[in-house]
Amino acid sequence: MNFLFGEKEERLRSEIREFVKENMPPDYIGNMFVEEESDEGWDFAMSMARKMAQKKWLVMSWPEEYGGMGASTWERVVLAEEAAYWGIPGLSMGISGTAWVGPTLMISGTKDQQDRFLPPIAAGEPDGVWCTGYSEPDAGSDLASLQTRAVRDGNEYIINGQKVWTSCAHLARWMWLICRTNSDAKKKHQGLSIFMVDMRSEGLTVNPLRNLVGGHVFNEVFFKDVRVPAENLVGRENEGWHQLMTALGFERGIAISFTASVRRKFDALVEYVKDAGLMSRPRVRAQLADLAVDIETARLLAYEPVCLAEEGIMNVHAASRDKANIDHLHEKLARVGTEILGAYSQLDYLHKDSKWTKLGGTFEHLYYYNVGMAIAAGTTYVQKNIVGQFGLQLPRSY
Amino acid sequence: MDYTFTKDQEMIRKSAREFFIKECPKDRVRELKDDPQAYDPLMWKKMVDLGFLGLIIPEMYGGMQGDLIELMIFTEELGRNLVPCPFFGTVVECTVPLLKFGTDPQKQKYLTGIAEKGAIWSLAQAEQVADFEAEDINLTAEADNGNFVLNGTKLFVPYAAEADFFIVAARTNKIGDPREGVTLFIVEAGAEGIGIEAMPTTARDCRGEVRFDGVRVTGDNVLGEQDQGWTILDTVLQHAAVFKAVEMSGGAQAVFDLTVNYARERKQFNKSIGSFQAVQHKLVDLLTLVDGLKYLVYEAAWHMNNGTSSRGLNSMAKVKANAVYHEVCHHGIVLHGAIGWTEEMDIGLYHIKTKAAQFDGGLSTLHLERIAAELEAYVPEYRKLYPG
Repeated sequence: MNFLFGEKEERLRSEIREFVKENMPPDYIGNMFVEEESDEGWDFAMSMARKMAQKKWLVMSWPEEYGGMGASTWERVVLAEEAAYWGIPGLSMGISGTAWVGPTLMISGTKDQQDRFLPPIAAGEPDGVWCTGYSEPDAGSDLASLQTRAVRDGNEYIINGQKVWTSCAHLARWMWLICRTNSDAKKKHQGLSIFMVDMRSEGLTVNPLRNLVGGHVFNEVFFKDVRVPAENLVGRENEGWHQLMTALGFERGIAISFTASVRRKFDALVEYVKDAGLMSRPRVRAQLADLAVDIETARLLAYEPVCLAEEGIMNVHAASRDKANIDHLHEKLARVGTEILGAYSQLDYLHKDSKWTKLGGTFEHLYYYNVGMAIAAGTTYVQKNIVGQFGLQLPRSY
Repeated sequence: MDYTFTKDQEMIRKSAREFFIKECPKDRVRELKDDPQAYDPLMWKKMVDLGFLGLIIPEMYGGMQGDLIELMIFTEELGRNLVPCPFFGTVVECTVPLLKFGTDPQKQKYLTGIAEKGAIWSLAQAEQVADFEAEDINLTAEADNGNFVLNGTKLFVPYAAEADFFIVAARTNKIGDPREGVTLFIVEAGAEGIGIEAMPTTARDCRGEVRFDGVRVTGDNVLGEQDQGWTILDTVLQHAAVFKAVEMSGGAQAVFDLTVNYARERKQFNKSIGSFQAVQHKLVDLLTLVDGLKYLVYEAAWHMNNGTSSRGLNSMAKVKANAVYHEVCHHGIVLHGAIGWTEEMDIGLYHIKTKAAQFDGGLSTLHLERIAAELEAYVPEYRKLYPG
């Protein structure tokens, strides 16, 4: 048992902080999805991605031949924490390249696919920016009922259908797409396949969807006779569900970063409370102390699957438990933070440079965006179904 | 970061668990509820023989010379198996201060008695307000030719009627800061002038009011320095907070397991009730609480053992335990349905301990304030990088 990081990890932590000091604006607080929402945000994210690529941090856990540094799991944890705490954007290169396209290709991709797709991701190039095409209008939580179809035609597949809530589709060069290749399969999660689709393909249209506060994070994507070369099929035809589950496993291990970004916002809130002379208010004191307990608990929970994996034990439900837990923590931090900011919390984060805005608008942003995050990558409630079924071995509830 | 235990540590867990399952099945726990002694002297004797009472006492005083991780593992199992006995009061609240602040003769005399004979010790601290603040300590100790005379009343004293010794927190100086002027005394339970009255607690845990009516204590029975007792009490409270939280974590895990098993087995509408989403989601919430508490108390105990603990972290462990133990008992019983609200089911045996467990080691109001005080003094990482 040990509750401290090793020397190697702490050295990396210091190195990253030096990097932050040189490359990031002082007192920067990162907000979720903020990279996608403006041209300046995106340019900043891509410039940081390239800088991190030069340090071999962007894909640090990948083997050196693919541009990584073969970093240990705990080094990756440290990078995830530090990047989230300091708000370094660009680490996910859109939504999926570094996080699951690369890792899944390393497991299931052909040599040719690995050679084509991994280097631009590792280098932090625009051609390494990915989006992910999972959800459809009638296939959200029940993803396996998706309808977008791919039909083989010689050395190509022809794709027709629609995806929705596609984050970063307006910025990505490639899409990681799941669609149906066999409509006669016995079960609906059979007969699906994963394709890598060039976003510049003819017949592919991206329409922005604005969220309830006017931000542009996600899109709808239409496919009309879009032709994809057969060599862009990942793994074998009709076995896409397996690739998708592998990829989702990478996606849901996000609690470590989220806890660190929560910590950054919480730190700012505590400082604000002190500066504003609110620390003498018993309710505020109790609220902050209560949040501190929740944040420390979330941090320790998020390390659990990593600790177990180091022992060779895969704890698949823990990622879902922690996603649901973080959803609740985000909501609580947003609620307490905006309550403390009081009247100022009604200011629009889109005008975060206004002279009235406190803490760069981060709590106004969190208040509305944590709702979106509680839906993204599987809603809080879908996560709880997963934990109930796979973690507690209870009968399937849906 | 490493959440795993060594083979030796796993062995301690295994032997503790097997001992408790064998010696203290739930029917025995039920019987002890109606026994005014609230523990089983024969089982206590066996615990002494196995070295459990001397777990953290050095070998030179007859102990096992174990560390706080071993104490943590043992305490977690004690809580999981709900063993009524004066272990917490004797080991955590009294052995710890004797070890840290006792003189050599005191250690020789008293630690040996605990490790080898299972002497029962009890901390007599709480008075009328019973909130673990210095203002609450008003029992007086008047100096008299190098000796002291104690007058006053202590409340909620653990195993008051069964204790062999008390550590009594007394006021020796009434002027100025109430934290300065507290002195601790080692007092034999049989001393003249001591009167004990049982307090009727829901947990049936043999707490009592202890009256000190002109009780004479010799100067060599002062624990630590005169007027400096508050520091010792603060050390004790931090240990008590962490290790009571460990015990509660063990109990919360057991209550959770009872509830999940029941939800799997109990059928309604021809289905196990665990298949219903409302039930399942509540169980997942409780799992998250119980898992979170487990790692938080491990972290606090580990840092305490490592010499890197912080007041804030120790307080966090207790705040979390106080909340989680309540949640898991309350909702665990509701998930059981009416049968859970009877004496028949084991879950109720855990729930009747809730209020006592929340009190020992400090209530959440006290600990939330301690965490807030630490936040007040805390310099965030970004301020170290960018001085304001």
